[in-house]
Amino acid sequence: MDSSVVLKIFLVVAVLAIVLLLWLANYRQSTPLAQSDLTARGYGIRRYWFWCTLIVAFAVYAITIPAFPYRKAQASVNARHYSVIAQQYGFTLPAVVPLDTPVVFDVTAKDVNHGFGIYDPGGRVITQVQAMPLYVNHLAVTFTVPGRYRVRCLEFCGIAHAAMQGSFDVK
Amino acid sequence: MSTAIDDAGDRRGKRVMWTYIVCGLSIFTLMLLVGILLRGSQAAWFALDAGVFYSLLSLHGVGMLTALTISGLGTLWYLVNRETPLNEGVAYVAFSLFVGGVAAVIVSVVVGHYGALWTMLYPLPFVGTYWPSWATGAWLIGTLLVMVGFTIWCAQILGALVVRFGGLNGMLGIDYVLRNRAFVQSGKEPPAPEMFAAAITAIDGFIAATAGLLVGIALLVHWLDPTVALDPLWAKNLTYMFGHTFANLTMYMAVAGIYVGLPLCTKRSYHTSVQLTVAWWATLTFVIIAYFHHLYMDFAQAQSVQYIGEIASYLAAIPVVVVTVYGGVLLVHRSGMRWTLGSMFLFAGMIGWVVGGFAAVLDATIPVNVDLHNTLWVPGHFHTYLLEGVVLFTLGWVFVNLEARSGGQTSALVRWLVGVGMFGGGALFLLSFYLAGAAGVPRRYAVEPAPGPFFANIATIGALVLLAGFILAASEALRLARLKPAHVPL
Ligand code: HEM
Ligand SMILES: [Cu+2]
Repeated sequence: MDSSVVLKIFLVVAVLAIVLLLWLANYRQSTPLAQSDLTARGYGIRRYWFWCTLIVAFAVYAITIPAFPYRKAQASVNARHYSVIAQQYGFTLPAVVPLDTPVVFDVTAKDVNHGFGIYDPGGRVITQVQAMPLYVNHLAVTFTVPGRYRVRCLEFCGIAHAAMQGSFDVK
Repeated sequence: MSTAIDDAGDRRGKRVMWTYIVCGLSIFTLMLLVGILLRGSQAAWFALDAGVFYSLLSLHGVGMLTALTISGLGTLWYLVNRETPLNEGVAYVAFSLFVGGVAAVIVSVVVGHYGALWTMLYPLPFVGTYWPSWATGAWLIGTLLVMVGFTIWCAQILGALVVRFGGLNGMLGIDYVLRNRAFVQSGKEPPAPEMFAAAITAIDGFIAATAGLLVGIALLVHWLDPTVALDPLWAKNLTYMFGHTFANLTMYMAVAGIYVGLPLCTKRSYHTSVQLTVAWWATLTFVIIAYFHHLYMDFAQAQSVQYIGEIASYLAAIPVVVVTVYGGVLLVHRSGMRWTLGSMFLFAGMIGWVVGGFAAVLDATIPVNVDLHNTLWVPGHFHTYLLEGVVLFTLGWVFVNLEARSGGQTSALVRWLVGVGMFGGGALFLLSFYLAGAAGVPRRYAVEPAPGPFFANIATIGALVLLAGFILAASEALRLARLKPAHVPL
């Protein structure tokens, strides 16, 4: 999901929550109520509120499941496979990856854990997977925008972690 | 408050609590300065060598979590001791293990320049290192000491609670929820809310510390004999089972500040309810497996685990925050409460908890995590609920106690200055993490790609403003602490 959308959702909800909580705290503090007057109504709403948030949580869970990345890699058995090897402090990458074609990166590491993070030509993260020694992670992608993609390491791997990058072309 | 102990017992409990809190907050202050160095270096205000940066980051991460754990455990120990007298010798044994552990970690970093971060993700602390092997050993031994201390604390509290509430059933409020009518008619009362916080900390803490000890000892064995190889995926699972749970529990320790502190401010009482109990059960069950979200991007992990991970993350976090904060707001709403530093911190902490928790839940959603995993969004969310949540609950609890003890007041001006500093500065500091994270800037980069340094500038200014607010608050705490006691609180 587009991170800028996530950011907007977050900011809107955060501001609303802050305003609401501050309002509830400051509203008519000079005319206090006895706790018992408040709890009768408050406890009624609480039950409703509790179950509503749980239902929303389960609904979001159900909605997001189809967008999980795990099945995609299994489904693309016919896709072209490219091997990616991460090692302190660089990547062994294909030079060119085809456009509009399902591909699978078979990602592993030689020494320690690394991350294989793909940045599109606009500089946004489009997907990623971990690179772990002794294991191969299969990442399915279909590139729809041509250009030069940068790869950055997204798992701390040592002193030159911040300099660990590579690139490939999509055409 | 129901008090099962005499004044002398209460005084002993207080002494344990203040020993823990003063130590925890001292470490916190030191680590705050380290944090500002780190962010300033990312902003290129000065250049820390990458090795120094990662050594300091290792220290900051583990030091902060340990600092907040120490003060949280002290508070809970005091609260449990009010319900059922505890042996304070055990508390001091655990305390000395914490102090010893922190000392070993500091030596490892300052003298040895260890730099594989708190995660020490196998095989990292042994491959491509720029520090001597003994520093890895000192680091491992230091963290193991902290875990052993934590285990001792958990065992003591767990034993005491089981005895006090008549087994797990009573301690967890099982009959209270499942046979509510009979329970209430028999005149029994469920445990107070803060007892759930203590119980969940002790149970999940025990499990998490066991996982941590297991992987820690395995790493130690590998350190002694490098031919003993570990499985990296196994090590990663245990590392995060320990680390994630440990970080989360700091919140559940500090939450006692709401359950006990806010009622003091509002002169109302916080009651255990069925919803609150069920919410704590959800946390009890799921907090220990919520760590699966740290391995979302390990596609080699069993798929079922990924599917469980998302819902477990939701259920560990959401119910307890919505119920607790709802109850907290209900306490404050039209209570006629006056704002003091104590009540301000406690209330603001609830806001930080909600906001940071929401950012966490977003990132725990797998399709979102694909883009945000290991970006600055991650330190964004956890600094929100740690710095503007756990830390504020801790400070709030300290101030509520100091205010009650001394009867002293803080002027509105100082309160405003502290608020603007700690929340305004904090907002700048945190917002920069979120904005940079959403733009794809990775976390744990000594030198960040654009637009990282731009946001690091704003963040460093924010952190300095926050520091000024914190110093003002600390000096106010010292002033209140030196006032003559007006009456004994609680
Ligand atoms: C003004 C106060 C603080 C500042 C300036 C600060 C600064 C930082 C910075 C710059 C990082 C590295 C971010 C990155 O990944 O690039 C970091 C990481 C971290 N901080 Fe803070 N921090 C502060 C407060 C706290 C608090 C209160 C805690 C509470 C426990 C905390 C716990 C951590 C942890 C656990 C990490 C992760 C370390 C790692 O990635 O291994 N910090 N902090
Ligand atoms: Cu790396």
